[in-house]
Amino acid sequence: MVPDGAGLFWGGFGYQRAPIAFAQELVRQKKRDLTIYTCGSEVDLEIMAGAGVAGRFEIAFVAIEAIGLAYNMRRRVAEGKVEIEDYSNLAMAMRFLGGALNVPFMPIRSLMGTDMANKSRYRGDKKLRVIDCPFTGQRVCLVPSVQPDFSIVHVQRVDQTGNAQIDGIVGEDIEGSRCGKKLIVLAEELVDEAEIRSRPDQTRIPAMYVDHVVVLPFIAHPMQCHNYYDYDLEFLQFFHKMTRKEETWQEYLDEYIFGVDDHWSYLDKVGWERLNQLRAKRPWGY
Amino acid sequence: MSRYTRIEFLAACASRHVRDGENVFGGTGLPLLAALLAKNTHAPNANLISEAGFIDAMPREVPLSVADSRYYYGCSASIGLIETLGFILQAGRIDVGFLGAAQIDEYGNLNTTYIGPYEAPKIRLPGSGGGNDIASSAKRLIIMMTHDKRKFVKQLDHMTSPGHLEGPGSRERWSLVGGGPEVVITDMCQMDFDPVTRKIRLMSVHPGYTVDDVLDNVMFDLIVPDSVPTTEEPTQEQIEIMHRLDPHGVYLGKARD
Repeated sequence: MVPDGAGLFWGGFGYQRAPIAFAQELVRQKKRDLTIYTCGSEVDLEIMAGAGVAGRFEIAFVAIEAIGLAYNMRRRVAEGKVEIEDYSNLAMAMRFLGGALNVPFMPIRSLMGTDMANKSRYRGDKKLRVIDCPFTGQRVCLVPSVQPDFSIVHVQRVDQTGNAQIDGIVGEDIEGSRCGKKLIVLAEELVDEAEIRSRPDQTRIPAMYVDHVVVLPFIAHPMQCHNYYDYDLEFLQFFHKMTRKEETWQEYLDEYIFGVDDHWSYLDKVGWERLNQLRAKRPWGY
Repeated sequence: MSRYTRIEFLAACASRHVRDGENVFGGTGLPLLAALLAKNTHAPNANLISEAGFIDAMPREVPLSVADSRYYYGCSASIGLIETLGFILQAGRIDVGFLGAAQIDEYGNLNTTYIGPYEAPKIRLPGSGGGNDIASSAKRLIIMMTHDKRKFVKQLDHMTSPGHLEGPGSRERWSLVGGGPEVVITDMCQMDFDPVTRKIRLMSVHPGYTVDDVLDNVMFDLIVPDSVPTTEEPTQEQIEIMHRLDPHGVYLGKARD
């Protein structure tokens, strides 16, 4: 469904609700020249940069936080195969809010005075603009809104009509889910409409915004999905180790992404005993 | 006297800069450990906020990510980025933010994005994340770094986040909301900023190091006051609490010393 060259809002934040299964499927389908818009993503960005499906990233952050740096991204940037247009988390969230509100830009009070405002990778003078506010005279930074071809958002639950509920933090997914031209929701579980309507305050994305729904378990593995499963620390460390060198990354790619037919085969390969141990416990949510 | 590692020293030292009742952006890693330690010792009413959306958090164990579910249970509200970085931070409601960096200059400006020239970067680092937002808008900024001469530079390869920019008046010129860096803590010393010139100044030296050790390990001119005290050591209680918070040694390391 996603054509080569498309722009994607990429949901999830940090270790939470990362659409990893979708990234792996983009790789299996050999997509090319995608542009990814997100605040801070980690394993999924490493997969897409490493496998060459995306060449441009408008992001604030890429690393595996406490586990360490993003080696695939580092190699691809050094090789010149990936271009990153750097923004801050607030700047990206506001670009999505602007896109969702259907206004061309949003004002923020970050980025000014630094190289974030002075240097651009490929957007040139369309990266941002610092102006004097016409009302107060204060300096303010305008960032361009984003309305990408698709928004990809991973949620906990969805019903038959597409109402989607998110538990825990939403990150930038409220704005992100509304800014794209088409919204693809990935859900861990399909529940009855009656269940959604019994706790509508949990519905972060009403069905009216949703174009397509995919229901699969463990979409974020080895990352976490609040109230469903914790991150798989051992696998995460293994993944990070495999990205350290190009040869081992290619091994990982061949074995865990090209070597499986689909997400179900990936989960079989990881092993259900292992996955079941990651299931969240009450009341902690992980 | 308690025995401690360099990392334990750094975390305990940073935690002393959090005051009770303050709104704190903790992030992950050592800064988070420092903020949690403060909350478990002298600052029980500190409001620990994670930019992913957790407000007034009190995790039982250290989260690995700003979005980690470990932040969830016991927090007072779980919302999102526009809430934390927008309504809270940009609106001027954060008292203290913590940041680390790969490079810092004499005005406390930070690089977390590129080593080497921007046009052909040698090494891509994580980038700003919420760092630029925090450095722009938090009332006070605490910077934590392991001490390595190559990190304390005259000229940054890339300025990701604003410190005191070009000196007096420059943050005001850009209408920045926050006050900028207050203190830089390394595993060798603490540094603050001269109130007039906004240039970095030696504040205290950790036990086992001398002023000359510090001067040998920075590449910019460091202001050295007439008297430089020795930094207070961590207490046994602080060390025990931080190990309780990080039982698997994710940040503190496996060994006790």
